[in-house]
Amino acid sequence: MRKFTPYLILATALLALAIDLLPNLSLPASGTTSGTRPIETKLGLDLRGGLRVEYQVQPVDGVSATAADLATIRDIIERRVNSTGVSEPLVQTQGSDRIVVELPGVTNPDSIRALLGTTGRLDLVPLPREVYGFFNTATGQPTDGVKPVPGEGETLSDTTLKALFSGDQIESSAVQIDESGRRVVSFKLKSEGSELFATWTKANIGSYFAIVLDGAVKSAPYIQSAITGGEAQISGPGAAGFAVDEATNLVTILKFGSLPFPIAEIGVTDVKATLGASFLGQALFAGAVGILLVFLFMLLHYRVAGAVANVALIFYVIIVLAIFRLVPVTLTLAGIAGFVLSIGMAVDANILIFERTKEELRIGKGIAPAVEAGFSRAWNSILDSNVSSLITAFILFYFGSSTIKGFALVLIIGVLCSLFTAVTVTRLILRAVIARKRFSSPYLYGVAKGDLDALDRGAING
Amino acid sequence: MTSTHSIGGPSMDKIIARKRWFFVFSILITIPGLLFTLATPFSGGSIGLKFSIDYTGGTIWEFRPESPADPLVVQAAVASAGHEEATVTEAGTGFLIVRTKPLDLQAGQDQIDNAGAELQAIRAAVVAAIGPIAEEGSVSTVGPVISQDLTQQALLLVVLGSIGIVLWMTYRFRNLRFGMAALAALLHDVIVTVGFFAIAGTIAGIEIDALFVTAMLTIIGFSVHDTIVVFDRIRENLVRHAGAPFGDIVNHSIVQTLGRSFNTTATVLITLLTLLVFAGGSIRTFVLILFVGILSGTYSSIFFASPLLVWWEERAQARKAAAARTRTA
Repeated sequence: MRKFTPYLILATALLALAIDLLPNLSLPASGTTSGTRPIETKLGLDLRGGLRVEYQVQPVDGVSATAADLATIRDIIERRVNSTGVSEPLVQTQGSDRIVVELPGVTNPDSIRALLGTTGRLDLVPLPREVYGFFNTATGQPTDGVKPVPGEGETLSDTTLKALFSGDQIESSAVQIDESGRRVVSFKLKSEGSELFATWTKANIGSYFAIVLDGAVKSAPYIQSAITGGEAQISGPGAAGFAVDEATNLVTILKFGSLPFPIAEIGVTDVKATLGASFLGQALFAGAVGILLVFLFMLLHYRVAGAVANVALIFYVIIVLAIFRLVPVTLTLAGIAGFVLSIGMAVDANILIFERTKEELRIGKGIAPAVEAGFSRAWNSILDSNVSSLITAFILFYFGSSTIKGFALVLIIGVLCSLFTAVTVTRLILRAVIARKRFSSPYLYGVAKGDLDALDRGAING
Repeated sequence: MTSTHSIGGPSMDKIIARKRWFFVFSILITIPGLLFTLATPFSGGSIGLKFSIDYTGGTIWEFRPESPADPLVVQAAVASAGHEEATVTEAGTGFLIVRTKPLDLQAGQDQIDNAGAELQAIRAAVVAAIGPIAEEGSVSTVGPVISQDLTQQALLLVVLGSIGIVLWMTYRFRNLRFGMAALAALLHDVIVTVGFFAIAGTIAGIEIDALFVTAMLTIIGFSVHDTIVVFDRIRENLVRHAGAPFGDIVNHSIVQTLGRSFNTTATVLITLLTLLVFAGGSIRTFVLILFVGILSGTYSSIFFASPLLVWWEERAQARKAAAARTRTA
């Protein structure tokens, strides 16, 4: 097994490097239209700009929303978000009554907030045949009225039109295939709506009625026959009925036109993209300078061993960034700070090992046994201290809010990877290095000149 | 550091012997901050921790006017738009920060047609007073619900984190004293850091935000990191130098791990310092918190947790000896 370790590490690094650098890679993913997910570095809204709104679902008449209601509200809001054409929206439930919407790169936050936050009002409005005409079911020919039947998206300008009933009377709705194989949308009414609809349809066969959401017409079918049982079907225009997405949209509107519970904004953050970009630039620059200084420090302090640790640190950065892209971890400003901090913690394992190695060298051990003893004696401290970091990181991840979770995830990934790179990778390279004659002076591993002289005189004891 | 490493050597061996001085020093760096922290709820906001809108609820609006403007003029303009509670400060790079009570939070109604109306009114008043706005940075509004959540979450996280650490330490060292000494050290660091920001809030108006608790937990993890390294060495030396006085063993362990403690702290502080100097925005305070906490963490693991362990052990031994004397008498 040990023979293959170098190749395994090299393969891991190359794979990670490919993930870091190659554009247009993707992973299979469920729930997306293409069935794949691009591998990319995801940036939080604070770094790329965008709108984040947190909603709390309000109880109605003392009744709170159930988990199922919360999921329904999430779905409705997601459909509203999708209708705005914002790319990569994120709509999540949080806790028992929260919904968080994140929309990157939004330029018109106010109008989007107005759209998302409305409870929504769905009305079923009869269109009088004297004005809008009717459909002669006997001849199969429409008869035009004074005004054309309103199309999808138009608003009803006639304020005298009254709704027969509103969306709360719709019990359920579904896409179905009728007996002649056409795709239709069926809906079922509650008892009050059912009675109203029966009375009206009996007297108005052939008339049009409009399905209106927040004042805009979504569909305006005509009445083919009296609907007495409270169950109706809307047939589509073509020979095959509705297209799939048309039917689904209509079902969504009938079912979800209005939110079952009103929602209230409890927090809004809108970061302009330019500000986010400047934060990102500063953070990356700071991170790069920080890493370089750590490199320099290790090199000056531990010389050859420091150089080996730096190689391991490069491994660390490559691998962690690849994992960020794979998971994916959404990087925020705090996340980047966490990553830079984790670099400091990653070298800690090496510092522990090298300090231990120096001690062994000072008491006169040879390079190879000193290095091995350094690794085995430092291991306890490394494990114990990293577990303590993992404990706090897991607590942050489990109990924290979304920003805190992101930071905690960065820390967890960092600690786990550093155990691999700082111990396994460093040991492997260091073993290869110490096998060479010219790297055999304890001076090259950070032991001070004075100690070496003392060692020669045999003055130091353990 | 380069001198002898044998037990009872002549240099760096006075840490434990001088433990009283270090206890006094720890008291000196914890008490003032603690007083400022405790004054927070009684001073009406003038002394102690300054909380950001994440905790108090409110709106922060950042923008850059085309020509530099006096914050007081902007504040007057915002007040004329009906927000006397507003404060305006400079953020550097020409940006101004306006803080008000929460603006424009929409509560579920059938039609929302006034989203952003309050902020638009303020924006209009500001433009009327100081001319056009060149660039908007960000608008952030936090309602009272979120701020309540955060405060509860902060307490929960710190308490759970501390319990988790003590349990882990006690399990690994099979000794409650090690766990309790580590706990004392991390409380030391929490108090120093919170106290630092209570003083900084009073003097410089530095606010703590939602990331504060994240930083505290990171500090807790790091503080224990340092303590574990020293304690691990104590455990090892207790076996190797069995029979030697406990204080000498602890002192020897501290000296042996001193190089590691300094170097690790140095590398971490280097990375934090670069972030502090070059990175902007909300993480500057975050990084400063980590900086203070990690400095305190290194100090407390060497000069507080370990001496505390010795003090405890010596007291227990003195009791045992006293009990033995009374038995023999």
